[in-house]
Amino acid sequence: MVALFVVLGAVVLLLAVLVAGLLRSHADILKALHDLGAGVGDPAADRAHDPGGHGTPVGAVPVPLTMGPPLAADRDSTSAPTLAGVTPHGDALAVAPATGSGLTLLAFLSTGCASCAGFWESFRRPASLGLATGTRLVVVTKGPDREIPREVADLAAPGLSVLMSSEAWTDYEVPGSPFFVLVDGAAGRRVGEGVANHFSQVAELVRRADIDAAAFAVDAGPGRDVGLDGPARESANDRELRDAGVAPGDPSLYPTSLEDLYGPPDARMATAPRPIRRAG
Amino acid sequence: MYAHGIGADLPPGFGGRIFTRQGSGIEVANPVAQFATFPLPDDVGDFGGGAVNLMGNDDIFVVLFEYGPDSVGTRLFAHQGLPRELATTHFQPQVLRRGLSGQSGTQWFFTEAGRPFTLYAVLGSHARRSVLVPRVNQLLAGLSVDRAPVPLAAGRPWN
Repeated sequence: MVALFVVLGAVVLLLAVLVAGLLRSHADILKALHDLGAGVGDPAADRAHDPGGHGTPVGAVPVPLTMGPPLAADRDSTSAPTLAGVTPHGDALAVAPATGSGLTLLAFLSTGCASCAGFWESFRRPASLGLATGTRLVVVTKGPDREIPREVADLAAPGLSVLMSSEAWTDYEVPGSPFFVLVDGAAGRRVGEGVANHFSQVAELVRRADIDAAAFAVDAGPGRDVGLDGPARESANDRELRDAGVAPGDPSLYPTSLEDLYGPPDARMATAPRPIRRAG
Repeated sequence: MYAHGIGADLPPGFGGRIFTRQGSGIEVANPVAQFATFPLPDDVGDFGGGAVNLMGNDDIFVVLFEYGPDSVGTRLFAHQGLPRELATTHFQPQVLRRGLSGQSGTQWFFTEAGRPFTLYAVLGSHARRSVLVPRVNQLLAGLSVDRAPVPLAAGRPWN
């Protein structure tokens, strides 16, 4: 019986020591957090009550503590800042989705995520994506500090706009990949965002947004019917030059002075410079 | 944004790209920087073919096009320094490479940091130039060009 009491007493004593140690450790943690300005209660309020600074830790700085991606209620889900970064080929690219009158679909993808693979593959067949005409698709990966440009280039379909920018992921508070953001340029804000397993789900989101935009549109946009344009226009220019006997490398294509461009000074108009024609 | 020795601190509302086209044959691809206040299509000519017709009245399109080093020192590029302060009078409808009704443009040839460039800027509406030109100048103020790398001396092999 006595032995039992002794053993029981020893166990209670051991537990008491353990509890005391835990309490002391907890107190140390609370003190450290308080020194950082992130303790229980408001350190600023403590200072207000203690203007002399007695008891206020020196050099305390407020440290906002966040764990994981922001909650839905905390996210800035409407702003559409400009995304700037580099392409997988080393060019610079800045996309301002909140400009223009159309929709921009930002696809935040990674090279390593298994569920992104289907999207990279889908983007190789742009005709089958089902996106509304005029919708601009931009794939955004993390920057060269987190992704290997060569791997991104291998996955990206030719002609696909790909921007590498870790800052863009932060600006748009992307919780993970794949993640899609739809921006309405006319409204200058995000009109939808979320995760999808298949691109058909994303296309449906874009289709609905496009219908909404059309329903509330005031102006159809600034497009002008001007005939040939882009590569077709450049091909026509090349054809005209060839027909006129101007081949690639012709000296007339490489002016070195104003006289080459406009002729002798006395032949030039005094104030109105003429447009410069350029091959291609 | 920065690439190919050209940097741009873009004002709000501007997008852009700094790139080189793939060279073909003896042609050497030089850097091109394009900036716009509207979404640029993927297939745009160096001087805005395929883009300027998409401009609205309040839109701006600016190109910084670099020429080859053999142009340095020629009379066409005698002006030193990127124009930073354009005036409304610099923009003329006749200067457009493609004469679209209502638009106006300006073009400058110059040498910046030892590199020969042309600057070509288009306003969506000449009538709105008093509002748009300050925005162009805001963009120009944020452009920077690195000095061209000095080519290695030829004819002196190692050891």
